[in-house]
Amino acid sequence: MKLFKLGNLVVTYLLLFFILAVVGTVFVRGLPGLYRALKVPEIVFAVKLSLYTSFVSTALCLLVALPAAYALARYRLPGRGAVASLLRIPLSLPPLVSGVCLLLFFGTTACGEALERIGLHFVFTVPGIIMAQFFVNVSGLITVLKGAIEAVDVRLEYVARTLGCSPGRAFTRVTLPLIKNGLLAGLILTWSKALGEFGAVLMLAGAIRFKTETLPVSIYLHMSTGDLDALMASATILILISLISLAALERKGAGLPGRVSGL
Amino acid sequence: MRNSLPEAGKLRLSGVTKKIGGFSLQDISLEVAPGEYFVVLGPTGAGKTVLLETVAGIHSVDAGEIWFDGVNITAWPPEQRRFGFVYQDYVLFPHLNVKQNIAFGARVNRWSKNGLEKKIEDIAALLGISHLLRRFPGTLSGGEQQRVALARALVTEPQILLLDEPLAALDPRNREALQQELRQLHKIAGTLTLQVTHDFEEAFFLADRIAVLDGGRLLQVGPPEEIFARPRSAAAARFVGAENIFTGEIICRDGKKFVRLDGALLEVNTGLSGPVGFSVRPEDILLNNSPQPGNCLRGKILICCEGVILQGND
Ligand SMILES: Nc1ncnc2c1ncn2[C@@H]1O[C@H](COP(=O)(O)OP(=O)(O)OP(=O)(O)O)[C@@H](O)[C@H]1O
Ligand SMILES: [Mg+2]
Repeated sequence: MKLFKLGNLVVTYLLLFFILAVVGTVFVRGLPGLYRALKVPEIVFAVKLSLYTSFVSTALCLLVALPAAYALARYRLPGRGAVASLLRIPLSLPPLVSGVCLLLFFGTTACGEALERIGLHFVFTVPGIIMAQFFVNVSGLITVLKGAIEAVDVRLEYVARTLGCSPGRAFTRVTLPLIKNGLLAGLILTWSKALGEFGAVLMLAGAIRFKTETLPVSIYLHMSTGDLDALMASATILILISLISLAALERKGAGLPGRVSGL
Repeated sequence: MRNSLPEAGKLRLSGVTKKIGGFSLQDISLEVAPGEYFVVLGPTGAGKTVLLETVAGIHSVDAGEIWFDGVNITAWPPEQRRFGFVYQDYVLFPHLNVKQNIAFGARVNRWSKNGLEKKIEDIAALLGISHLLRRFPGTLSGGEQQRVALARALVTEPQILLLDEPLAALDPRNREALQQELRQLHKIAGTLTLQVTHDFEEAFFLADRIAVLDGGRLLQVGPPEEIFARPRSAAAARFVGAENIFTGEIICRDGKKFVRLDGALLEVNTGLSGPVGFSVRPEDILLNNSPQPGNCLRGKILICCEGVILQGND
């Protein structure tokens, strides 16, 4: 009994130590040079591009995932289970493979060409970065939101409607406030994953200095040229952002959706 | 002018059929008069909640029509019908406090603010929840939640009030109190009220008329006394508290009708004939030691309880 408890605790703390040691190696070495690095034009470019693309792709994910999650959670569709599973494909694909699929779709099919003709270029462009991040992340957000919506009693919406709400208003006035925490957590998760997305971005948008150079791509480029200082700086920035969003998630996680402050 | 129509203010369901999952409401037809307190009585799983939700417009019907006030409202969504709805477990908005819950319908309909304040205060006072207005639903007792749910439904002055077992989750004392209040409320507002319950006594106390629902079908509709005295099926009879149901045949003699029970003939007053089921209510049994002709059954007293008397002497 005692041995059992001791064993579990030892494993837990060993793992914790290992993680801190690994991340700390880069973090501790990168942190001192961070201020200087933020004056290097290439790194500034990468930070700006990463922030821009990740915000836009997260917004797109929200725009698409919210209605999709609502439909999956609330409507009795034929083959609803199959639809939900198929929508999860990008979640289970390796991002690199998603990137290959995207590249071939936009680069070689009639559909891709049609989009080119109306001015939507995705191959080796900034919109390509956004598209790659969107494709990889949207399924995850749908899954999170679907769970959150399912946890809200549908009869709350029914009551709202008998009181005069249209279906849309019943959603915004009742369900949306109740899934607020789940929604925020999902958005933070989506955003930080978009920020770190590499494989799919590399395939569709390429790794072009000062053009499609996000922070992960910057790390990759500096690695291949052996510029350890720049590499460390980019990695440290990503670690910092992860830690901040982790802290934000923890705080959101504390208030479960729909929990009411007791007396 | 409208009031002169026979349909004015009347709720009418004709042949309403609704399949939902493995369950279906079948061919429900009833009429509820304006201002009537109508109670649907049925066991658990009979489809009472589904029926109310269908009247509220939450489920679309598969067949049949729903009319209100001379208008076919079958295709109207709930927000157009705006019938007040109180669920059996209240379903209050957990993110809003009591006052915001009550004000919800008025807010949605963009009522002016000054009139609303007064209205909420009045309704809260009427239901005895004035002291709860700032609290959140998660902190309320069942009875308090019930009153808030009622207030929320009543504040928009709906033309029909739909109550799903409003008293089922309360303890007996609270139940009695709220039963009285419901009747009082109905007297004041005169709103057509459709309530469902599995409790016959509650139905008997509140209802102008009762419908018995079982397995998604209406078995019988009528005034409480009639349902009580003349249930038309064994299921309905069991439901209104008939414990012993016998089967037999109606026998006609000298223009009178009888049923046979244990060799005795009991006179009955009925329009029926042929094989029937019947029941004897305990409150209708009289003990007498000198047998008389007529509705008389020979019996034997097996146990004599003197406990009450003994207690008195102690
Ligand atoms: N949305 C639904 N999907 C599938 N089946 C349903 C749904 N709603 C209700 N049912 C089924 O319909 C039947 C009747 O349900 P309903 O809730 O109307 O019963 P009830 O008479 O209100 O019972 P109770 O007294 O327990 O509240 C039940 O068998 C229930 O499982
Ligand atoms: Mg029910």
